[in-house]
This record gives sequence, structure tokens and C-alpha cells, in this order.
Amino acid sequence: MLEHIISIMIFVPIAAGLGMLFLPLGRDASRVLGLAVSVIVVLLGLKLFLSFDGSTGAFEFVEQAPLAESLGISYRLGVDGISLLVLMAAALLFPMVYLLFKTRPRGYYCNLLIVQGAMIGAVCATDLVLFYIFWEVMLLPVFFMIGLYGGPKRIGATVKITIYTIAGSLLMLASIIYLGITYHAQAGEWSFDIARLSSLSLGGGVATLAFFGFMVAFAIKIPLFPFHTWLPDAYTEAPTATTFVLSAIMAKIGVYGVVRFVVPVFEENLARYALILACSGVIGMMYCGIAALAQKDFKRMLAFSSASHMGIIALGIFCMNIQALTGTLYQIVAHATSTGVIFLLLGIIEERMETRSIDDFGGVAYKAPVFAAFFAVAMLASVGLPGTSGFIGEFLIILGAVKFNPAIGVLAGTTLIIGVCYMLWLFQRVFFEKTNERTETFRDLSPIETLTILPIVVLIIAMGIFPQPFIDKIQPAARQQIVSVTPAVPAADEAVAENTLLIQARN
Amino acid sequence: MQDLMAILPLVATGAGAILLMLAAAFESFRKEGISIMGIGLFAFAFFVQLAVANSGSFAPYSGVLNGMLATSTFTKVAGLIILACGFFSAIAAQAYFTQNKGFVLEFYCLMLFAACGMLLLTMAAELITLFIALEIMSLAIYALVGYDRKSVRRSEAVLKYLMLGAFAGAFYIMGTVFIYAGAKSTSFRVITDVIATTGFLSNPPLVGGAFLILFAFLFKAAAFPFHAWVVDVYDGAPLPVTGFMATAVKTAVFAVLANFLMISSDLQAAWVDYLFYIAVFTMFAGNLIAIAQNNLKRMLAASGIVHSGYLIIALVAIQAKTFTGGAMLFYLAAYALATLGIFAALSYLAGEEERRVSFDDFKGLARVRPYSAACISIFLLSMAGIPPTAGFMGKFYIIASAFQAGHVSLAILGIVSSILSMWYYLRLIVLMYFREPEDRFEVAEMTLAPLGTIILAICVFAISFYPVVL
Repeated sequence: MLEHIISIMIFVPIAAGLGMLFLPLGRDASRVLGLAVSVIVVLLGLKLFLSFDGSTGAFEFVEQAPLAESLGISYRLGVDGISLLVLMAAALLFPMVYLLFKTRPRGYYCNLLIVQGAMIGAVCATDLVLFYIFWEVMLLPVFFMIGLYGGPKRIGATVKITIYTIAGSLLMLASIIYLGITYHAQAGEWSFDIARLSSLSLGGGVATLAFFGFMVAFAIKIPLFPFHTWLPDAYTEAPTATTFVLSAIMAKIGVYGVVRFVVPVFEENLARYALILACSGVIGMMYCGIAALAQKDFKRMLAFSSASHMGIIALGIFCMNIQALTGTLYQIVAHATSTGVIFLLLGIIEERMETRSIDDFGGVAYKAPVFAAFFAVAMLASVGLPGTSGFIGEFLIILGAVKFNPAIGVLAGTTLIIGVCYMLWLFQRVFFEKTNERTETFRDLSPIETLTILPIVVLIIAMGIFPQPFIDKIQPAARQQIVSVTPAVPAADEAVAENTLLIQARN
Repeated sequence: MQDLMAILPLVATGAGAILLMLAAAFESFRKEGISIMGIGLFAFAFFVQLAVANSGSFAPYSGVLNGMLATSTFTKVAGLIILACGFFSAIAAQAYFTQNKGFVLEFYCLMLFAACGMLLLTMAAELITLFIALEIMSLAIYALVGYDRKSVRRSEAVLKYLMLGAFAGAFYIMGTVFIYAGAKSTSFRVITDVIATTGFLSNPPLVGGAFLILFAFLFKAAAFPFHAWVVDVYDGAPLPVTGFMATAVKTAVFAVLANFLMISSDLQAAWVDYLFYIAVFTMFAGNLIAIAQNNLKRMLAASGIVHSGYLIIALVAIQAKTFTGGAMLFYLAAYALATLGIFAALSYLAGEEERRVSFDDFKGLARVRPYSAACISIFLLSMAGIPPTAGFMGKFYIIASAFQAGHVSLAILGIVSSILSMWYYLRLIVLMYFREPEDRFEVAEMTLAPLGTIILAICVFAISFYPVVL
């Protein structure tokens, strides 16, 4: 069982989703089926997390089977410290959706199941072509979910996100093929295995183009400034569960893709362009943060806030040292949980009040104290208050950023203030102040809803107080990733701005 | 005996057509029977070809008829694709004829004759044979395009196609004459030897001849700048014929183009630069035309131009020594599956007189006929190259072959073109799924076409990881 655990986690949801498309189930039956499958995935995920060793930094639970042998494309899966927490985020958060949103049609739950399977596949694939397949497949359910069940301007938003993302992925496809061809030329055999491709020695203009092919694809998915323009529309028009999927998990897979595929293969190009990319991360943080301040629609505000946070998470990769990278991997889960909870809570508000305008609210905290408390915890984690999960990740990233380039570090650190501003302001306007006739009738969370969200809120606090067990699982693999990047620098912890040294060593 | 084996599929299709005509002399033989028989004959020819495909490659009748035919794995697989296209087009035709009037019998005969010409075309290793094959195919297709004589649109289409096709044929003959002047033979083998001894560029008649012959082929392949006829002709032709033209004719023409370029690596090398630009312009011209269309048939015609562009990328990348044609054939097969699938679905959805062919007619199809909409979406996604469909792997091989031949810019332009093509493929999916239905999409009584559509949709996934040697 354990040797195929990843495949089971991928294909049970996909098979259930596809099967449900054909079965004439009612909406309650399909919701219960979806819930059952997602609980199975949670249990499998916990089992995997507990049996994960992680001390060596190597892939565990490896599965392998040939797909197209003549080109060395194979079905190759594995989990290491880098993918583990992303995988956990993709596995653990889904049951909440089925428990909180009860009145959706069957196709909605089918798409949720399929997208979950595809995302787990994308996170665990260690063959580039397999990764690409899952990467594309996970877009299709999002396309249908926004297009079928989204808000009034959904069709424009759907077309925008789809064409944007597919444009990026096709450029990545060209880069993937280029890597395969280069490997064939250098090693005399075909392979798209990431472990083997990282031994490639790439140089010249085409390699740089391939690097940007990957970077553009991931930058669109994350989204990194200036590729974020699809995000506000898609996040706002999408139904809440889709926004949740997009912001909590799919964006993280973009970050994960950079760590997994770009860092080991394109070390030289990454070192060369790290400063520009880091700047784009910081600009994204500021720009989207300021944009969030000005929003009147809270979903749109949170969309910008999410983009702003993704800026800092991406920044952690481009600093190219162990602290920042660990911070990024930690923050992936921290942000997934906090932003996930925020979006889900707002989905509940939207459903009960049928408005998204911040001005329509006020005094929700008096009417719904549990709701407000959960929101407060998630919000504080999102702004990085000590004692919550967000603090550990952001602290490590800023630490790494200061080591990488003090100016970037200082800018990133101060930009976090913007996040505090819009979040607290939102909290004040929605939860405090006077109640109005709309919020008078607001119901607090039902017991089931409370129990649904409670574990995640506990996790947010636990990850803030006891980060070590998680970091222990991440760090060996992260260290390996960094070691392969900086062969010239012996101890990563002692070096200042390793990438400058790396460039000097290369020259 | 082996010689006979090699041409057995040709005999099967040719004799099958004649048999069909004889059978029609019996009064009791009705429309449905003829349709089933036409479909059956294609299936039979397909299995004959499949049996033949397991034998080795050689030149049949090399002693007696000047080596006019040659077979290889490439030609055999191309033959398989052509016959499969014929089979599914015949299924589409059955649905078409349950809703439209027409002379069923002659239709299937012409299709079989066209398939016979195409098979001959893939095997031809001599310029005159090639011309005969080209004309067998073309004449049958002309007649099929203008099948409904009373319709003005069909007449317009056939007139355009016939006039321009005649020009292309004339170019071809002129090219043959030039090549004969340069090589003193029309046999591919002799031309290869002549080029090896005298060189290609130092032999002006050969250069001129190859130039004219390539013109003729590029016309048939709908490559830029000979693409202008495609949209009107495909639009004017009856639905099953459009599907047949877009897939089988394209397969045959690209097979013969590859065979012709393979005569000598010098010949191919001399045209690579031009083919490079032709590929780029074909892709982008096709995309720009397709984006502007409101009619599904016209969009598919224009997207066929784009796919021709991708196939020309494969032509640019072929290397004479290691040529297997794998990338090209896989792409052709993947493209044929998706295109035939859409045409098979259209053949029963379009209704009488092809009522529903514009984009807006398919609004909300997913609500009324979810399986048809799902199949059409699968075909469109395959054409757009979204994994895990066959179209994705086809695109993968094409781009890989371009990289392997060192044409990085061509690979990138191919990718940019497929980004553009997303627009019009997505547009139909958006209409089918995200709009409310206005039509009830009632269709004629049970035909084989829905079954064929589902089989093709399954094939789109089934062949996607078929091993291909690049």
C-alpha cells in the first residue's frame, strides 16, 4: 500500500470526479461522495506525512513506470522535503470545502475532485513531462468551475486566466523539450527525470531562453509582478471554493515548480537574474499591497492581498540561501492555511449576506464571535504576527533576504506593514463599528462549520509555536537543493550573498 | 507474390469501389445497405493494410515497371491513417445522408477511388505514377466537393478548387518535364543518383523542376501562400467530405512531400530555408484567418492551415539519413483523430442542410447533449495540444524534432502559434458550456456517427503514449 500511496492519492479523486460526471447523483449524494474521497486523501496524506523520514533529503515513496519509452518519458513520482508540505496543503484543506458549501451542483464537486488529484500529481511528479501533464490538467477544472459557477463577469475572467496560463505553460513546454533534447545530446539517451536533468551543463542564449520559458510559466501561476493581471478578475469572479483552490494551493505549486525545477537545472541563469526576479517579487508585494488598500470589494481586496503575499514567498527562492528557501517552503503551508481560511470565511459571509462590498458590513464581531475569532487568527497569521505560522516563514524569508541583499531585505520587511494596514482596516470595518440592518441578522458559524475550520486554526497556531518538526522535514532536502546550486561556497550559513560569489566563481 | 501483397490495399479499395457500383445494379439494394457496405469496405481495406504493414520495405515491380512504387514503414503507416480517415468519414457520411438527399452510391465509390489514389500517392517512387495518383485522388475529391449540384455554394467551392487544382497539376507536369530534362529519368532512384554525381544546385533544370513540383504539393497541402482556397472550399463541401479532405488528403500529400524531399539530402537542404518561412507564415496566416471566423467549418478549415504549418516544421526538421517520419505521422494521426471526431459529431449535430455550423448555433450544447459536447471539447483540446491527449504528444514530437534539427526559432514560433490558436478552440468550448441553450438539438434517427465519435474520443487518449522513434 505504501509503495503506491501517491498514485492512490492522485487517482482516487480523479476517478471519483470522472465517475461522478457519468453517474446521475443528486447534489447531496455527490457532496457526500466528494467529502468521503477527500477524507480518504487526508488520511492517506497523514499516513504519508508520519511515515516520511526526510533525514536524507532524497525522494521517498518512489514509483516508476515507463510512459513513452522511446523518449524516456516515464511515470515517476516521489516526495521529498520540498514537495511534502505542498502535498500536505493539497491533501488536507479540501474537506472544508465540502463541509462548508452544501448547495452546489454535482459538476462543481466533480471539478473539485479532479483538480485535487491533478494538483497532487503535479506536486509529486519528478518527471518533467509528467509534471507538465498534471500541470495542464489541473487548469481544466478551474476553467470549468469559473466558467460555469462564477460571478456575472465570469466568462471574461475564465478566458483571461486560461489563455494567460496556457500561454505560460506552452512556453514551459518548449523549455522542457529543449532540456530533453540537450540531455539527449550530452548523455546520449533520452530522459526527462529531474534528478538527471539537474546534472546538465547549460550555457548560451538558448538556455537563457529556456530559463525564462520556465520562469514565465511559474510567474504567471504564482503570480509574480508583472504577470498578475489575470488574478483580480479570476479571484473575484470565481466561486469561493475555486478562489480557495487557486490562492491556497495552485499558486503555491507555481512557487514549488520554481524550487523543484528551475533552481537545480538553471542554477547559473538563476544566479544571474536573481536580483531582477527578487525586485519583481518586492515590487509585486508593494504594488498589490497598495492596490489592496484601495479595494471596496473584499474578495478583490483579498485577491490583491494574496498576490502581495505570493511576492514575498517568491522572493524567498530568489535569495538562494537556506534560510530563505526554508522560509519559502514553510510559508507555502502557512499562507495556504491562513489565506484558505480567510477565503472560506468570506465565502460564508458572501453566501449569507449576498454582498461583497466592505461598506455594507459592520459589527459582525458582536453577532458572530466565533466567526470573528477564527477570522482574526487567520488574519494575524497572514500578516505574520509572532505566535502564528506566518511569522516563522516570513521571518526566515526576510532573514535570507537581508543576507542576499540588505536593500531588498529592508524593503521587503517594511512592505509587510502595508499588509498589516489593509488587513486591520478591513477587520475594523467588517467586524467592529456599528451593526447595520444587514449584519443584524448575521448568524454565527454552525457547530459543524466550527468543527470544520477549527483544526486548521489549531494548525496555524501550532505551526507558529512549534515550527521545528516541520522544519526538520524540509531542511535536508532544501539544503541539498542549495548545495547543488552553490558548489563554490562550502558552508551556506557563513556566506553573505552567495549568488554574487557564485557569479565570481563562475567567471 | 510479395509485390502483389504490397499493392493489395490498393486493389481492395479500387475493386471495392467497382464492386459497389455493380452491386447497385440491383434494385433491392438501398441507401442504408450501400452505406454499411462503404463503411465495411474501408474497414476491410484498413485490415488488409494492417496485415501488409507487418511485411518489410521494398520496391514492388522494380524489375518490370521501372521501380514505380516503393514501400516503407512510413508509407504503410500513412496508408493506415488514410484508410482510417476513410472509415470514419464514411461513418460521418452515413449520418449525413440520413438527413440530406443525394446519390449515396456514387459518393462511397468516389471516396474509395480517392482513397485508392491516396494510397498510390504515398507509395509512388516515380514522377509519372505520382501524377496519375495525384489526379485519381484530385478528380474524385473535385466530384465529392461539388456533390450537391443544386447548391450554389458547393458549385462555387468546386469551381475554385478545380481551377486552382488544375493550375497546380499543370505546375506539377511542368516540373516533371524539367526534372526529366535534368536527370533523364522520372524515377526517384535515378534522380537520387544524378544529384549525387552532378550536385543539385549546379543542375538548373532540376532546381526549376523541384521548385514547380513543390509548388504543386504546397498547394495541395494548403501552405502559405497557396492557402487562400482552403476556407471557401472546405466550407462549401459537404461535411463528411470536408473531414475527409482535411485529414486523408493532408496525410497523403505530406507523405508524398516527405518522400519527394527525401530523394536527396541536397534537395532538402536547398529548400530548408524557404520551408522555414513557409512554415512560419502558414501557421500565422492560418491563425489570423481562424480567429476571424464565425462559422465552425471555416474555423476548422483555417485551423487546418495552421496544422499544415506544424507539419511543415517536421518537414524542415527531417534528416535524410535518419528519417523515420515518426513525428510527422504521429502528428497526422493525432490531427486526423481530432478533426474526424469533430466532423463525425457535426455530421449528426448539424442537421438537415447543415443548419447548425456557426459558433452561435452551438450555444449551450453541453446542457442538451453532454456527451457530444464533451467529445467535441476533447477533440478541440487535442487540436490545441493540451495533455494527456494525442495532440499534445504530436506537438511534443514536432517541437522536439525542430529543436533536434537546431531550429530553435522555429520551435518557439510554433509554440507562439499554438498560444494564438487557444483563442478559437476555447471559444467553442466556452459557448458550449457557459451559455444557455437556445436550440433543442434534435437530430435524426440512430446512426453510427455518435458511436464513431465516442470511439474517436477514446482513441485520442489511447494513442497518446504510443512509442514513436524521433
